[in-house]
Order: sequence, then structure tokens, then C-alpha cells
Amino acid sequence: MNIAVNKTPAELAYDGMLLPHPRLEDWKWTNLRVLIDRPYPPRLKVDAAKKHIERLLRRDPLAKLAHTRIVFVNGHFAEGFSNLPTGGDVRVTPRLVPLSGDDEPVLDMNKAFATAGVHVEIASNIDAPVALVHVATDAEARTIATRHALTVADGASATVFETHLGEGDYLSNSVIDITLGAGAKLDRVKLEIESSEAIHLAHALIKLGTNAILRDFTLTSGARVNRQNGTILFTGEKADAKIAGSYLLAGKQHADTRLVVDHRVPKCTSREVFKCVMDERARGIFQGKVVVQRDAQKTDGKQSSHGLLLSETAEFDAKPELEIYADDVVCGHGATSGDIDHNHLFYLCSRGIPEAEAKSMLIGAFVAEAFDTIGHEEVRHELARFAEKWLSSRKDFAP
Amino acid sequence: MLEINNLSVKLAEEDRTIINGLTLKVKAGEVHAIMGPNGSGKSTLSYVLAGREGYEVTGGDVKFKGEDLFELSPDQRAAKGLFLAFQYPIEIPGVVTMQFLKVALNAQRKARGEKELTTPEFMKLVKERAARLDISLDMLKRAVNVGFSGGEKKRAEILQMAVLEPSLCILDETDSGLDIDALRIVADGVNALRSPDRAMVVITHYQRLLDYIIPDYVHVLSQGRIVKSGGKELALELEAKGYAEFAREAA
Repeated sequence: MNIAVNKTPAELAYDGMLLPHPRLEDWKWTNLRVLIDRPYPPRLKVDAAKKHIERLLRRDPLAKLAHTRIVFVNGHFAEGFSNLPTGGDVRVTPRLVPLSGDDEPVLDMNKAFATAGVHVEIASNIDAPVALVHVATDAEARTIATRHALTVADGASATVFETHLGEGDYLSNSVIDITLGAGAKLDRVKLEIESSEAIHLAHALIKLGTNAILRDFTLTSGARVNRQNGTILFTGEKADAKIAGSYLLAGKQHADTRLVVDHRVPKCTSREVFKCVMDERARGIFQGKVVVQRDAQKTDGKQSSHGLLLSETAEFDAKPELEIYADDVVCGHGATSGDIDHNHLFYLCSRGIPEAEAKSMLIGAFVAEAFDTIGHEEVRHELARFAEKWLSSRKDFAP
Repeated sequence: MLEINNLSVKLAEEDRTIINGLTLKVKAGEVHAIMGPNGSGKSTLSYVLAGREGYEVTGGDVKFKGEDLFELSPDQRAAKGLFLAFQYPIEIPGVVTMQFLKVALNAQRKARGEKELTTPEFMKLVKERAARLDISLDMLKRAVNVGFSGGEKKRAEILQMAVLEPSLCILDETDSGLDIDALRIVADGVNALRSPDRAMVVITHYQRLLDYIIPDYVHVLSQGRIVKSGGKELALELEAKGYAEFAREAA
């Protein structure tokens, strides 16, 4: 794809070169040509005061749980704010790992605009979590793009956080390319709490080797527009991936997740569980596709996506797809959307729990299935607290 | 404790009267049984008292401890001491029973201006009450009623009652779906809660439960009103004659 990098994404939209046309099936609910309604020039240098950066970094609910902390400020590696490993089994190399593969709008934008990234290599079983923290400071509207690679060696394991947060108006484009070796295990937790004016476009490319285990959870609560792609590729037999996510959206927020789980080899298991909460005029979208190639016999692939609508103007769209070319597989999908169950609510209230508190409990219970994917107990606890805080900021749910 | 005066209730969504001029007075320390055939309005009565949506009061009033019951929201009624043991306890996935009980008890205490219980205080209380009902701690760690057997659900309802210590207990067909052993455990749990300060309204289709929970008064409900009242012997008479007889007498 030929991209004129000196143009802004919005300008490019008019050429039809970079931003996807809504006639593309995958982009029918997220029309970036309309949603990106102002220029976001790339590679803009902005200054940020140390105290602002520190203040933003403190906002990361996972801050104190990470041992290794790799910080990016406005798209640049910020060594001074980072806490890098002193050697051993976590190696962090600042570099932009070349991206091969698909023609995909978010990836193309990243190839054109990414300014920094790291390659994180995990060589053994690492207990202390490794965090990739992305901070955007309040400055001119601009595109911030980073790209990382994460390699978990054969038999190695790690917990990796990815946080995106900021202030002001910007477009954040973030790509991560993950490879799990044979028998490797990765617990990945992504937290998208970008500025309420921001646009967040992300793509995670994940390859699982033989017997690899992936537990992936994404909490989406920031940005006015969010689009997150995931491509999960099974390259070795008997690997097991669980991809879960939760949205906590309000106002006019728009979040769209598009996952493709590609079973290319036999005997792998995949689970997708998305529990999405939308209030006011927010719109949540989940598009999940499970592909079972001809050789991928004994595949066990299931996906479920559920929307909980807290207002009559909120919306949830789900598009589950199964593409199966093998004959000995167990696959299924389910999607629901609805408001709080009135019978549940009455039961809780009839025991003396005030309605607002009862609703909070039920919303917490609704997202719990997705949160349970997080293996690290303290992380789960911190994110549950984040969800509680979010709920108590909603007018009808304050306990 | 509870004064129901000439109460009439219809379904909110359709023009069908379910309770039709019902009058009942229940004093502290008394146990009243309300018996009636299917469709006589038993469950509607319990739901209306607890404050469930979907019903419209078209006449009469209900006073609970001297206050207009219909002015209170369901949680306020509970905090004031009203408890409904559901005929079909609701399953709530994701809400752990123990947590639910603690939140409920402390919400009620807070509403009454009492000090909230700490976790150790609460645990002590629950363990003690659960043991009496043969409920394991393991069961309390599970989501509310999820995967519970019929008997476990009913025992869990009685446990909630024992922990919340309401002053008016309404038991809606608590015997339904119970085998004789489970019935005995549930009835023992209910009897343990009988006290001079506490009233009970036991709603049932069959006389069987009343062998275990002996009522002071028995009322026959037919077509939304009480057609006959008497002592505990009335239950036996009902069992012998059947409801049809009473419905005819009333007509």
C-alpha cells in the first residue's frame, strides 16, 4: 500500500488510501472516515513537563504491580520514567521491529507512522509482571504510534500489562506482535483508559506454538473512538487461548473489537468471552471470527459476547462468525444483549439492598466472567476496583 | 404488625383482578397460614407485599407497623423488617451468596441507623445460622442459588431469613419441591425463628407443611379474597373436603 506519510489520517481519508471504507465488511460499524473528523498529524514533537507525566503515570491502576515498567510518552520511549530489568531473563531492546503481513488499515497506519517501540524477550518463568505503559500528554491533536514485539521463549511464562492513558485530543495507534514458543504461557492484560477525546486504534498479532497457553484480557473504558483488532494464530498443536474483554462505556463512546482466531493445526482450544457494559449513548461492537482450517481437526472453539445496556439509547452489536473446513470439531458461539434483569434486581432489593447498589452488584456480576480470565489475583482486584469506581461515577448506580 | 384492608390488586399490563377485597390482620407473635388453590392469588399477595413490579393496587390499603406499605420501596420494606421467602428463589450468576448476605444485612442495618457488622462478626453469625440449617460454607461461596437443588434453594431462603432476622416473614409455598427430610429441616429453621416479636404468614397449597409449622390461624383464599378463617383444624378440614367446597360456600 502506497502511503503518503506527510499527510494526516484525515487528509488521507479523502484519498481513500489509508482509512477503511465502511463498505469493507469488517469496518461497517466503525466508519473512520467520519469518526476521524479532524487532522491528526503524525510525528509531531510535543513537550511535556515531568510533573504532568508523573501525574499521568500514577493514574495507571496497575502501576504498583509491575516490576519492569517500560514507559512511552507521546510515542517515544521514556527511559527516565521506565524501570528496566537489570539483566537476566527479561530482555528489553528499544527498537521498531519490522512488521510483515497483512494489509490491514490499523497495521498500515502503524507501518507508516510508528515512531518507537520495544522488543521484549522473556526467556524463563517470570513472576513479576512486565508493563508497557503509554502516556499521552495534553497538547496539539496528533497521531501517536508505537509498535512492540513480545517473545515468550519455549517453556517460559510471564504476565504482561499494557496500559494506554492520556489527556487531551490525540489518535493513538498501537500494535503488538506476540510470539509464544512451545509450552510458553502468557497472561496479558490490556487496559485502555485513554483520554475521553482520544481515538484508540490497536492491533494485536498473536502466534501460539505447541502447547502454548494464552490468557488475554482487555478492559476498554477510555477514548471516544476505539477499534481493537486481534489476530490469533495457532501454529502448534494443543495450544490453548482464552481471549476475554470488557467494555465500560458511557457518553457517546464507540468501541469495536474485531478478533480473528485462526485454527491452522489440530487439537487447539480457543475461548472468547466479551462482557460489555454501555450507558447513555455509548455503542459497543464485537466481531469475532473463528476459522478452522482443513487440517485443524479436534479443534474446540467457542465464543460468546454479551452486551448489558444501561440506557435505552445505548447499543450493542455482535457479529459472530464461524468458518469451518474440518469435520471433527466442536465450535459454537452465542451473543446476547439486554438490560438488567428485573427479577434479579427485585430479588436483591427485596433483601434490603437499595436499587442503585443492587444494580452495581449485578453489573459487577455480569462482567465477572470476563474478569475471571485474569490469572493474577491482585490485577483482577485492581481492575474490579476500577470498574467499581466507573460505576459509582454513573448517576444511577452510585452506591 | 400487618393490616391489610379491603385490598384489591390487578395486573399492571392487563385488566385482570387478582386480589379482590382482601382483609387480614396479623399481630406480632402470630403465625397465619393462607391456603388456597392455584390461581387464588396467593403468590400475587406475597409479591405485592414485597413490592414487585407488575401489579397495580386498585383499592384498599396495607399498613406495616402502622406505616403505609405502598409508600415504601422494596429495600425500605426489607429494612423495616419484611421478608419474603420466594416460592422460586432467583438464581443470580456472579453474585456470591456470602457477599450478597453481608451487603444485604449491612444495607438494612445502615437504613435502620444501626452499626454495620465487620467481616468477622458477620462470618460468625452466618456460620452459626448456616450450621443449624445444614448449609455448608462451600455452598455459601457459590453464586446465589446457582446450581442449588430445590431443597438447597429453600434452605438458603430460610438462612437469609435467619441472618436478616425480619419481624414479618412471608413464606410463599416454601414446601413446594421438598422431600420429607428437606421439609423437616426447613420447618425446623422456621420454627426456630418463631418469637413473640415476630409474625409469620405461611402461604401454602397443601396442608402438609402445617404439620410441621403449626399455625395459630388458617385462612382460605379463593378468587382473591379470604372466604373462611379458623384455627389450625381448618387446614385438616380443607384437606378432607378440598377447595371446591369452600369456593362454592363463598359464591
